[in-house]
Amino acid sequence: MDPIKYFTFSMIISISGIRGILLNRRNIPIMSMPIESMLLAVNSNFLVFSVSLDDMMGQSFALLVPTVAAAESAIGLAIFVITFRVRGTIAVEFLNSIQG
Amino acid sequence: MFNLFLAVSPEIFIINATFILLIHGVVFSTSKKYDYPPLVSNVGWLGLLSVLITLLLLAAGAPLLTIAHFFWNNFFRRDNFTYFCQILLLLSTAGTISMCFDFFEQERFDAFEFIVLIPLSTRSMLFMISAYDSIAMYLAIELQSLCFYVIAASKRKSEFSTEAGSKYLILGAFSSGILLFGCSMIYGSTGATHFDQLAKILTGYEITGARSSGIFMGILFIAVGFLFKITAVPFHMWAPDIYEGSPTPVTAFLSIAPKISISANISRVSIYGSYGATLQQIFFFCSIASMILGALAAMAQTKVKRLLAYSSIGHVGYIRTGLSCGTIEGIQSLLIGIFIYALMTIDAFAIVLALRQTRVKYIADLGALAKTNPILAITFSITMFSYAGIPPLAGFCSKFYLFFAALGCGAYFLAPVGVVTSVIGRFYYIRLAKRMFFDTPRTWILYEPMDRDKSLLLAMTSSFITSFFPYPSPLFSVTHQMALSLYL
Repeated sequence: MDPIKYFTFSMIISISGIRGILLNRRNIPIMSMPIESMLLAVNSNFLVFSVSLDDMMGQSFALLVPTVAAAESAIGLAIFVITFRVRGTIAVEFLNSIQG
Repeated sequence: MFNLFLAVSPEIFIINATFILLIHGVVFSTSKKYDYPPLVSNVGWLGLLSVLITLLLLAAGAPLLTIAHFFWNNFFRRDNFTYFCQILLLLSTAGTISMCFDFFEQERFDAFEFIVLIPLSTRSMLFMISAYDSIAMYLAIELQSLCFYVIAASKRKSEFSTEAGSKYLILGAFSSGILLFGCSMIYGSTGATHFDQLAKILTGYEITGARSSGIFMGILFIAVGFLFKITAVPFHMWAPDIYEGSPTPVTAFLSIAPKISISANISRVSIYGSYGATLQQIFFFCSIASMILGALAAMAQTKVKRLLAYSSIGHVGYIRTGLSCGTIEGIQSLLIGIFIYALMTIDAFAIVLALRQTRVKYIADLGALAKTNPILAITFSITMFSYAGIPPLAGFCSKFYLFFAALGCGAYFLAPVGVVTSVIGRFYYIRLAKRMFFDTPRTWILYEPMDRDKSLLLAMTSSFITSFFPYPSPLFSVTHQMALSLYL
């Protein structure tokens, strides 16, 4: 019962992150927030399972995942900034100059 | 302990080379004394040299395979499979770097950091091929993807390139999140992150009736994450856009290097980790869908790079049929397919880069190439016919062996679908050849000759493609050894 409760919670956060990426039409830099929330939810998943299984590997994984998430969001922000500089708008729906 | 550093010396060398190149580039390109030189060609040649030395270190380290089987707390493992996969990866990287130099000169592309990112991602792909644990696999995939996001967006003033970069970032981050979710599900249900432990736990998984839904969901999510990364069909959302918008050398990289390393990793996870039976359904479905989409969608394309993107999606679909049979022949056909696919793709992109000097973007621009530059036209036709699977060329051998392995494991629906889509796909390959040889364009384009590196690369790859058929046995025996060591 105990890990299932926490696991459901982090699964809800992860699914709302997926929903945020797929249903975002207005704002490019906002895209990085659902990505971060997906990675955060999975991180808490690892920690919950590590505590309930009494195993250390989950906690060491949970140390490494936010490192990667931070690097990814830095690169994401850089790419979104240069996209804005070239385009002048931050709406995702205008990300369509490549047709087909 | 001593074995540890000897065994990983290629990676240590390429890491050091990356940092030294970065420091060299920064120090010299911002120095007033040398008048701020653009260092991209310099760093490029040094980067190519460092990749080749890494290849030498790796190839000469073959005796190490017997004494240093595992290192770093059993996170990585080296055997014949990783040895040859890493050699193939380094050869393709060296080939694609040598294609880039002319591109830099023409586009006046001065950022040497482009070259520094390539050995960085190569090193992470080397780790990915030898990864034996979920943690190692995830970290290596992420590092490789991060480097590729940056180089896909590297032409900062171009709308296409920045759009391709942001689409690639969103797609890649999303798929990494799904992959990590699968890893966490498997960890939560089994307590195992290492593939050895997973193999022991999942031994009777398909046979016994009791199926844990956590493990099933975990394996499914890992498979979906991998399929996103390898641009399989139900998950190929923006892949053609990314391939078209990125600068052409980056597209060449994207088509070749991640496919090699992710195929190697996914075959480790699914064949060694879960005995191949669990994911067979989804891989079959994705292969069939990729083959059908690759054949049909490429027919409507008018731009060369987009056509190559769809044809690479289709071809990787064919290669994935080798993965979806769980047999040794299946893995052998996968490896042969990957090898020949890498060579054909290097060939195709070298030609596209050579033609790029005259702004060839649409297929219609290729008209009358045969009259102005007949050797290039013949080389392009050989490459396209090899993709199509015309008999005396290498592509036919790889497709034949793939369908042979699929029939051998009982996939009686997949092989006819593959043959039919292969025939359908021949249409647009032969249409390219027809455009080159028989069409007259409205405005004649003057084709400039290509530089020495690309011509060497084209000569080597096209001679391999034509001469593979009479003597395929070295490649067959090498890949058989690789497949055997994967199963052990």
